Formats: sequence, structure tokens, C-alpha cells
Amino acid sequence: MRKPIHITAPRPTPEEWAKHFPISKASEKALQALVEEFKAGLSHQKELPVNSIEPEKRRKRASAA
Amino acid sequence: MPQPPDPNGVFLNIPYDEEFRSLYVAYIVGLCQLDLIPHLASEIPGGERRLSRIFQLIKSCRYSIHDLSRIEVSVTATAVPRFNMPLELGMTITWQNLHPDRHTWFVWESEPYRLQRSASDLNGTDPYIHNGTAEGVLRELCNAFPREHMPSVPKMLDVYHFANLSLDTILYKNGTRNPYDRSVFMELCWLSKTLADLIRLGGPAI
Repeated sequence: MRKPIHITAPRPTPEEWAKHFPISKASEKALQALVEEFKAGLSHQKELPVNSIEPEKRRKRASAA
Repeated sequence: MPQPPDPNGVFLNIPYDEEFRSLYVAYIVGLCQLDLIPHLASEIPGGERRLSRIFQLIKSCRYSIHDLSRIEVSVTATAVPRFNMPLELGMTITWQNLHPDRHTWFVWESEPYRLQRSASDLNGTDPYIHNGTAEGVLRELCNAFPREHMPSVPKMLDVYHFANLSLDTILYKNGTRNPYDRSVFMELCWLSKTLADLIRLGGPAI
């Protein structure tokens, strides 16, 4: 049987995370650059109107009509 | 009495091989998204005997995931089955039997009914089936560890794809090709946790 569990423990605090995953300042700086890249991707996603997901497909459909 | 375990700690008993790399990233990303703290045997500095270190880590975690999907005969000329994962599962089952309130273990597999063939003594244990995909790992993590305010699987997948792409940068920076190295594991966790917070704070609704 699968054991049904529901996690009720308080979520770890930022200090606990930092304690578990200590990284150097230099590493943090390098990883922060990746985070910025991810953020840029997120804001780009936000800017896209819903109907712009498949522009190529829409263009083809319009030219066929 | 032993020290109480970390209530959010999850020990990952997984194969350390190249083919498992994407599922390894999915486990880390998924656990961080659920605000659970992943732990790997390789994170403890050497010195003590490896098995003792692993047992200490199991005891310090409230949960453990035992992925048995790659228990198979290796493809080398001197083919040997891989026993590390079942060995660590056996240790965990004993620990849980001695201290039922301190530990809960889960078995993960890639295919239904495979466990019945590889470890029939575990009959009665329903494994979580990830189908050998990152999406399957994320989906089953949500099934195994339900908690308030969970992200959706597509949101988790977004972070997974980015973290998986970033792994090469992390490997290069650490001068290694081994994604299971301690430094790489630490940085991958840091990145996954930071991205999880970002998604929670204001990513696009998916």
C-alpha cells in the first residue's frame, strides 16, 4: 500500500537552507547570473499575448486563406 | 534516544550514473519546489566509512526515496547487478521498523510490476512509477509529498528544464563531469531553491 502522508512540518527557513547548502560568495555570484537569465525568460513569457504562442502556424493559416 | 530527524529532509537513494542525470535533476528541482531538503550520500565529506555516512544521513532525514528503476545487470563484460540501492533500502527498512515515527520510506520504479520481479519481498509496497521521465518524477513527488500551496507540475517542469540546461555551466565551473559531486549537488540545490522561490513569488500562471 502507498502510505498517504501530508506534510505538516513548517517549511525550512532561509537560514536552514543556507545551512544545508553552503556555497561560496563566488559561486553565489555565478549562480545569480543564471537566476537573472531565468528571470528574463519569465518576464518574456509574461509579455507574450496568449495568441502569440504559435505565430508560424497562424501565418501559414492566414496565407492559405 | 537518537536525534530527531529533519522533518523536511529527504534522503535520495539513487544510482549515480550518467543515464540517470536528468531524473537526478528532476528529483532535486521537485523536492526544492515542495520545500523539502534533498540529501545525497556524496554530500558528506569523506573520512568515515561510506556505509556509516549513508546510515547517518538516512537517520537524519524524515523521509527517503529509493529509486530502484536501474537495478539491472550492467552492460560491461563482467556483468554485475547493482546492489547499492537495495542495500540502502534494507538499512532504511530496518531503521524504520525500529523507529516507526521517525522515518517513512518510498520506493520508486520506472515501470509497473517491475518491482515484483526484482524484489518480490516488497510485495504489498506500491511503488511510485515515474516512467523514466523527469515529468513522471515531478508528478510522483507531488503525489508522495502533498502539502499546502504546491506548484503545478508544468511550473515545476519549467524550472527543471532551466536547471537541467544550467547543469553544464555548473559542471564546467566546478571542473568536473560528475553531476553527483558534492559541490555540484550543493549548487544545483541552491539554484533549484532560488528558482522555486521566484516561481512562487510571481511566475506566470501556467
